[in-house]
Amino acid sequence: MTHWRWLAVTAVVALVVVLALGFRRDPRDVRTGTVGKPAPAFELARLDGGGAVALRELAGKAVIVNFFASWCLPCKEEHPVLLRAWERYRTSGVVIVGILYQDDDAAGLDFLRRLGGTWPTVRDEGGRTALAYGVFGIPETFFIGTDGIIAGRHVGPLDDATLTAAIEAIRPKAPQ
Amino acid sequence: MSRLAIGCAFTVLALALAFAARPAPETATDRVDRIAAELRCPVCQGLSVRDSPSETARDMRDLVAQRVAEGRSDDAIRDEFRAAYGDWIVLRPPLLSPAGLVWLAPILLVAGGAALALRLARAPASAPAAPPDQDALAALRARVARDEEADA
Repeated sequence: MTHWRWLAVTAVVALVVVLALGFRRDPRDVRTGTVGKPAPAFELARLDGGGAVALRELAGKAVIVNFFASWCLPCKEEHPVLLRAWERYRTSGVVIVGILYQDDDAAGLDFLRRLGGTWPTVRDEGGRTALAYGVFGIPETFFIGTDGIIAGRHVGPLDDATLTAAIEAIRPKAPQ
Repeated sequence: MSRLAIGCAFTVLALALAFAARPAPETATDRVDRIAAELRCPVCQGLSVRDSPSETARDMRDLVAQRVAEGRSDDAIRDEFRAAYGDWIVLRPPLLSPAGLVWLAPILLVAGGAALALRLARAPASAPAAPPDQDALAALRARVARDEEADA
């Protein structure tokens, strides 16, 4: 019977470890299959009619892909955070790409006109890019490193500390 | 002759029923519905993509329909969503995955419990009782006999 006792003890210990690890996780930290993998390519039309934005053209830069919509109140809440980061990092090899999600162009443009933001903003026909990135809900932001790999993502409105830490982790380092 | 005719009639009837009940070939729409029913709507509470009225589910159904039209296999379509959302996105995740453990764990627990119960049932009873002490047995018999005589 001794080995049965050991088996029971091992099972209980394993259960406790699994529960301990589970309770330590932040429930908002929803992992998708895309983190740690190459960012899905996209080439999407700009809302302002100024051509298209292709991810491949941003190679070598840190890219912040932000899914948002004009009807999304948390997006409005996080917008000043994006504005501050854009002003601080736009000349440091960091690009923000706003992707309008389930919204119409006119509403998206009006949102940007009222709240500001000069980073490229594009439309996502049929939500294909959002599906490729594994978007659950907006606002949702993906941090793509200079190597084109998705280093992380954030679900919900960003705050200054979170966005700054994410950008500092992926932005191109100044030459020595 | 009549038996032969009845046998033939039953055979024909059975064949006709089997023919009528044969599964209809799956159309592209059926395939889209079936695959959509296997996918979880990411913005809903426990609804499949087929059953959800949300815009996200509609986008996913449209993508499934496009992939079916392109001739992609069921596995390739499911894998595309799993690459973006993980195994969570399929309502019946593969058993050998972290999500699949949720389904596998109860089966393993029941199997383990059954094995333990079987082992306990087959185990020999605890040590056999020692033979009774002959002197004590004789004394007990004598006492019973005395009691019976006293009662008589």
